[in-house]
Amino acid sequence: MTGPLRALLWCAALALAAAVVTYPRYANGYYLALGISVLYFTILATAWAMFSGPTRYISLATVAFFGLGAYTAAVLGETMPWPVVLLAAAGVGVLTAAITGLSTLRLSGIYFVIFSFGLAELIRQLVIWYEVNIHKSVGRYLFSAVTQDILYWQLLGLTAIVFLVGWLLGRSRYGLALRAIGADETAASHSGIDATRIKLGVFILSATFMAMTGAVMAPRWTYIDPAIAFNPTISFQVVIMALLGGAGSLFGPVLGVVPLVLLFEVLTATLPNHFSIVLGIIFVLIVMVLPNGVIGLFGAGRWRVPAGHPATASARKMDATLLAVDGVSKSFSGLRAVEDVSFTVAPGEIIGIIGPNGSGKTTLLNTLSGALRPSSGTIRFSGTVLNGLRAHQIARLGLARTFQLVRVMPDLTVAENVAAARLFSTSNGSDATGRELLDLVGLGTMHEAPAGELTYIDQKRLELARALALQPRLVLLDEWLAGLNPSELETGIALIAKLRERGLTIIMVEHVMDAIRALCGHCIVMNAGSVIARGTPDDVLADPKVVAAYLGGDDA
Amino acid sequence: MLLVDIILPGLVLGGMYALIALGLTLQYGVARIMNLSYGESLVAAAFGAFSLYSGLGLGPLAALLLAVPVAMLLNWLLYRFLLERLMRRGKDRGAQEIDSILVTFGALFVIQGAMLVAFGGQYYSYSYLSIPLTIMGSTLAVNRLVALLFAAVVGGAVYLALTRTRIGTAVRAIAVDPNAARLVGIDVAALSGFAFAFGGGLVAVGGVLVSMFLTFNAAMGVIFTMKALVVVIMGGVGNVLGALVAGLLLGVVETAVARLVDPGLTLAATYALFLGVLLIKPTGLFGRAAS
Amino acid sequence: MFSANRRTLLRVTGLAAVATALGSFASAADAQEKIRIGYAISKTGPYAGGAGITTLPNYELWVKDVNAAGGIKLGDKKLPIEVVEYDDRSSSEEAVKAIERLANQDKVDFILPPWSTGLNLAVGPTLNRLGYPHLAVTSVTDKAPELAKRWSNATFWLGTSAQISEGLADLLGKLKSEGKIGANIAMVSIADQFGIELSAAGREAFKKHGFTLTYDKTYPMGAQDLQPLLKDAIASNPDAFVAFSYPPDTIALTEQAQLLKFNPKVFYVGVGTAFPLYKGKFAANSEGVMGIGGWNADSPQLKDYLARHKAATGKEPDRWASSITYASLQVLQQAIEKVGKLDRAAVAAEIRSGTFDTIIGKVKLKDGLLQDVWSVGQWQNGEFYALAPASLPGARAPVVPKAQWQ
Repeated sequence: MTGPLRALLWCAALALAAAVVTYPRYANGYYLALGISVLYFTILATAWAMFSGPTRYISLATVAFFGLGAYTAAVLGETMPWPVVLLAAAGVGVLTAAITGLSTLRLSGIYFVIFSFGLAELIRQLVIWYEVNIHKSVGRYLFSAVTQDILYWQLLGLTAIVFLVGWLLGRSRYGLALRAIGADETAASHSGIDATRIKLGVFILSATFMAMTGAVMAPRWTYIDPAIAFNPTISFQVVIMALLGGAGSLFGPVLGVVPLVLLFEVLTATLPNHFSIVLGIIFVLIVMVLPNGVIGLFGAGRWRVPAGHPATASARKMDATLLAVDGVSKSFSGLRAVEDVSFTVAPGEIIGIIGPNGSGKTTLLNTLSGALRPSSGTIRFSGTVLNGLRAHQIARLGLARTFQLVRVMPDLTVAENVAAARLFSTSNGSDATGRELLDLVGLGTMHEAPAGELTYIDQKRLELARALALQPRLVLLDEWLAGLNPSELETGIALIAKLRERGLTIIMVEHVMDAIRALCGHCIVMNAGSVIARGTPDDVLADPKVVAAYLGGDDA
Repeated sequence: MLLVDIILPGLVLGGMYALIALGLTLQYGVARIMNLSYGESLVAAAFGAFSLYSGLGLGPLAALLLAVPVAMLLNWLLYRFLLERLMRRGKDRGAQEIDSILVTFGALFVIQGAMLVAFGGQYYSYSYLSIPLTIMGSTLAVNRLVALLFAAVVGGAVYLALTRTRIGTAVRAIAVDPNAARLVGIDVAALSGFAFAFGGGLVAVGGVLVSMFLTFNAAMGVIFTMKALVVVIMGGVGNVLGALVAGLLLGVVETAVARLVDPGLTLAATYALFLGVLLIKPTGLFGRAAS
Repeated sequence: MFSANRRTLLRVTGLAAVATALGSFASAADAQEKIRIGYAISKTGPYAGGAGITTLPNYELWVKDVNAAGGIKLGDKKLPIEVVEYDDRSSSEEAVKAIERLANQDKVDFILPPWSTGLNLAVGPTLNRLGYPHLAVTSVTDKAPELAKRWSNATFWLGTSAQISEGLADLLGKLKSEGKIGANIAMVSIADQFGIELSAAGREAFKKHGFTLTYDKTYPMGAQDLQPLLKDAIASNPDAFVAFSYPPDTIALTEQAQLLKFNPKVFYVGVGTAFPLYKGKFAANSEGVMGIGGWNADSPQLKDYLARHKAATGKEPDRWASSITYASLQVLQQAIEKVGKLDRAAVAAEIRSGTFDTIIGKVKLKDGLLQDVWSVGQWQNGEFYALAPASLPGARAPVVPKAQWQ
């Protein structure tokens, strides 16, 4: 971009900002009211998308927080100074969001959608019950001298804050973490991301803005009752506007808000009696024509994170035993999938776990990586007991994994997938940059490709790079070589060998015996949940018990 | 006797909830359409029954014979020409869900607008089978009993059809995993369209039957959509039996709270029950384990 | 401004034909030819039911009546009414925005109010600031006197909640002293401001008249089955059953009372009892049911109004707020004619101070409130006659006990 052009753009942006700020000075009452509508939906939709965009948790609880904010203003508005009222509203939002978030964020998909709706209704019913039985009056009157101008500026201020916070969040590691969670929550937690805490934090943040919007808007309506404050159509409108604009980016929602507010306005004015029908038809057409929301028209919509944070150099601690598994069992409602398994892994070693399908190998890995909690036994990693720790905590200690069915975060780019794993890493293992890791696994040219578009083998490579990005001391590979053709297999084996040379410790579950022979110094063989043999690959594969297990298995 | 007087009317109320939710279990659970215009379709059926009754003197039970095929046809057209395209376009279930929410939100306005033009905004109500029937000392309205009966019979029949027939098995396969279903040779689009249309037919049953005892107007659809969603989710998505049980449970709890605690807390209690169930079983009473 | 400038420009360039084509566009500025009246009403959303029966048909009827008579007389000529209408979608924010639009964009001469207490209060400050007369007809609130003081442009027409409850309590008290009913009342109310205010005022008033409340509960809006509530009310064996309910619940309560063969001496339900829907649904069983409102059905003006309403809208008006809504519009018209020019402040003042001749008789507001409002009506021989306050002309005697359900 040339200098003068850039200057021109800056001037235009400044002029636009000035025009927006001074809007009440030249707009008449109606345009001002329209501006207020746009702003208040912009705040709600942007705040909504802040949480729901990246995580894809469609929340219908917007009006619960909005309504509580409005009620707070109605209760305190005439007795307290306005900033205190706003703070109180924010506080109520934080508190409610924290309580509800803690209980609801384990739900997913449609269950979360309807739960959030039920939550809003429950809060509304409880407010009504409180007002009827304790306060003895359901409606609250709030007479205030707030003019449209002041209301507009308050909303504008809040809009600026919500965009600023959204922008900062998007640039921070929490922003990427949130998108990683949205893309694949399991993969994210095994990359060291504390999914629950991050979701809760952003949920609270978004609820705070909603509650404050409610408080700011309340004085405009003089009279607040639960039907007005907790009107569920507000929740729906916000969802629709944000989705229409494009909830995946900071400025997407506003691109849905503006056209929809204007569309409603034009239609109610020109066709008061048929506006519903026409609006519906136009709406359907928009959705059919714009699959990625309005922002999809601009081909934009992602916050990119630069690849390859420089990692800090670190000293490597050497222990005699890196991992000690002692008497670990795991049973699912009576069925014992893993029974009394013990083994140790020394630093720099590659251990193979083999056995027929269904023998408990993956379940064992899951107990090691924190996806499952062992029913009994202890797991020590570098001296720390892992039992009861959650996946992200174990990942942060330097124990990384890949998955049997490859799990990348499909909407994130290759570079972002790797970056996501470094966000909260506290381990002091390998110190390669993201770029180096991608070069190492052979994805050096694909940094900006969305991970979902990679081939199967490349996704496996990416998964490995992501595991390595945790700077792990131990990597669990779950059938990482399965499904590769002979030449790919050769490359894969060479890659693992290279990792061993770099001093990495590896546990690999594998069916490809050539790889086991080539890489592992030591193997354990599982059948029906128990270890039936251990030793060098050649020894165990010659063991009659092992042969019997494989032949007896359904499909070896 | 208070116990009987709580349980029987509770079941009758719950039967209505189950009835209005049956269609959605198919439309959402199987055809994967999160239909926000569901309640509007239901109210439209109620208006249809009202028109047939007041205009032609045709009783609502006879009206079913007309309303159900018409509703199925309209829903099939909606699926075939609008929703199927979205289903093909969406690259995963999340994207399909978002698209179907958006499109049916538009459909909501279209249906509501048409009803407003035809009937205006005011309330409608008529009396049919408003006859008392005393069972074990508890007096119930025949029209509400009919709704319960239909919920049980239709719900049971759909449940059996889904579990005992080939086509039902195919439909359930789609509900579990459409891609896998496609791989084993199931015509997913056609069957989803059928499930959606059949769900639409059940909506019509619900709408026609509740019009016998509820006062309704063109703006009331969202109430039914929400109730149906709560019942479906609480029962476990796509599980007809779950919807029946959840509906009945909600009805009994609502009645019990009204009689024993405080009628002012009935709705709070039903939402609390709903939220409680989800907290303990995040995929509903009869839901499959979360994937 | 915009359209005027454009017109000048077009004339200058000699494109008179185009200017004529744009005539409808330009007519906005020609305030002398027409009186522009705007309103935003709930055509969609939860308030559509109420607005669709009480408010909107009367706006349409009134405009039709006035224009059929040549318009509103302003000085020596009659100006027809031109209507600008919007849908507020039952939302407070939309209602406020629509008022701003009517005033600033459409530059209407007068604005008619939305339906419901909530929306009227929401638009109150805006109408006050813009200086439009505010006929807050369909708002029932105990704050009405205070609001009327605060907003000098606003007037309130349905009485306060206390007035309605006290009217009922007076009537029941009289029946008790005549020995027609006993002292037990069962009361249920909907859990929103309307139900709470009425039941709170009722509680006081009933106690004052020596009644005992044997049952007194609220129920949430949207409850689908009121039978449990009714059963407990019946079990308390009341002489009078009082429900402050909304139309769907009013109908459901009546239907359930019939099913349960609940025949108290006084059966009072409402809002909704005064709707033609009620008579249409329950026919002979509506006989003897009491409810909020009522009118003096023998008055020739109201008979004429009923006929015109039926002819113009195809349905009968409700017997509570409909006629008052229409009367408030007549008051507006007469106030404009008395002032003789489109001076909104003067018209607002005239509405408050003048005496007007309307379908509900002579109207004279006091402190911005219509004083003489019917609080209790009863279906008698297929008509919803007003019973209380008994002091008002045209009040009928109550028929008690109510006949058994058939």
